[in-house]
Amino acid sequence: MVEFRKASSQPASIKNTAIVTAVLATCLSSALCSAAFAEAAKEFRYTVGAHANISVDTQYGSISVKPGTDNEVVVTATLKSDNVEVDQQQNGNRIEIASHLLRGTDQRNGQVDYELLIPPDATVNLRSSTGPMSAERLQGDLTLEGAEAAVNVRDVENGHVHIRTMRGPITLTDVRNGHVEVASISGDVHLKGVTGPLVQVTSGRGGISYDGDFSSGGEYRFTTHTGDIRVLVPADVSADFKARSVLGRVQHDFPLKPRHSRFPEEVGRSFFGTTGQASSEVVLRSFSGRIRLKQR
Amino acid sequence: MTCSDVEQALPELLDGEANGAFPTEVESHLQSCAACSGLVSDLETIAGAARTLAASEEPPPRVWARIALELRAEGLIRDQPADAKLAPGRPILLPTAARRRWSSTAWWLAPVAAALVAGGSYVVSHKPATPVAQNQAPVNAAPSSAPSPAGSAPTTPWQCRLPAQASMQPTVTAQTTVEPEPSADDQQFLSAVSTRAPSMRATYENQLKAVNADILETQAYVDRNPRDAEAREHLMEAYQQKALLYQIALDRIQ
Repeated sequence: MVEFRKASSQPASIKNTAIVTAVLATCLSSALCSAAFAEAAKEFRYTVGAHANISVDTQYGSISVKPGTDNEVVVTATLKSDNVEVDQQQNGNRIEIASHLLRGTDQRNGQVDYELLIPPDATVNLRSSTGPMSAERLQGDLTLEGAEAAVNVRDVENGHVHIRTMRGPITLTDVRNGHVEVASISGDVHLKGVTGPLVQVTSGRGGISYDGDFSSGGEYRFTTHTGDIRVLVPADVSADFKARSVLGRVQHDFPLKPRHSRFPEEVGRSFFGTTGQASSEVVLRSFSGRIRLKQR
Repeated sequence: MTCSDVEQALPELLDGEANGAFPTEVESHLQSCAACSGLVSDLETIAGAARTLAASEEPPPRVWARIALELRAEGLIRDQPADAKLAPGRPILLPTAARRRWSSTAWWLAPVAAALVAGGSYVVSHKPATPVAQNQAPVNAAPSSAPSPAGSAPTTPWQCRLPAQASMQPTVTAQTTVEPEPSADDQQFLSAVSTRAPSMRATYENQLKAVNADILETQAYVDRNPRDAEAREHLMEAYQQKALLYQIALDRIQ
């Protein structure tokens, strides 16, 4: 019986080994092919003048934009498979880059990651469903749109910033002297050191946090339906505050000078008043979230 | 004539219908195709409602300014150079090649999104003509009391709804905790997402449910507190959130 088992198990063992080897070889060759393709990057260079207009549109993948030289745009596209191509064209000062998905492409094999070096004064339009998208150290107008994409904007000044996403988190750091308009359906929005003539944030279910100083004479409007709003500002901030949560709670630790408001003030649900010279207008609104204004 | 033929020709057909009936072959297709006749009916309702709104709900200048800003951001228009000979400063439409390509089957999302904003605007800004509830509910009341059931006779002008809104709004149920039923537009929206981006279907469906729930909750509160201007603004913004969801889908699922 034992001998029989030994005799019969030996060929089976060899057969199993052969199958395993074949599977491993197939996997290895696939992995090598994938790895080899993952390293395939395409570079595009364009000569542009002042205030170029640059658009990048990809369904899947990240987009990163940083300042380069004043008259050149360098785009590096990393393609994850041959199921996706990069369409690109330049018309004068306008450059358009777009991922072109071939039939049957999905998120796994349709990803293209873009890295751009651009003139700092360029106008930039970025679109990616999955993201993430980031832009830093720029001075032109920025528009970033995505579905689930996380968005990160840092060290931007003198340009308008428009962001629109479905649910990705949005972080703006040190954005100055431009209109900032952010709209999200359920993404959290974090602002740190963001100032300008207009800073407007709307989120349906996401929270909004602000850490900075309103004292630059701007208009700041933060609205969320069910999310919380948290604002952290210096004790000597100069602003005119209006805050109300229809169903949530509000709280502040500032000695606000009272002022007239169209909203009837309800303790715990709204507050209105000014600090300093009231140089900025700050409106904080939520339907059912909490609002908290706190001294730094 | 196929469904696709009708779909592609719909804008021209609807324009032409204002001056008369559809062509015979279209009429015969509509009689045999429930999907196309439903689509045509929805679009006629939306177009009719939009015409009704135009006179009474003229948006303020800042709305047009924001639309122009959005169109610039989209790359659809741009300002003329300062030295332009004709009307400098007036925006000009960019050539078609420079614009984003819209899916031939998702174009209907644009008027639906616009109608959502218009419908929301109407609901929010249409103030009661007669005095309404004198005793407002306590502000800390949970939004659980029942608004008027859909289909019941409105008790105040505030509760009047446009025909188009009946299909746009989430079904109002007895309690706000009950999940709203997706409307016909929502179903069509999710169907388009399923076809073009199946992996995103669950995400969009969840977002849509959340937005509809927010509309429902706010509508219930506004029904009980019709004088609360702040709550009305939140209701308008909830509609805008839904329009934004449609717009994102329009842009991203191609």
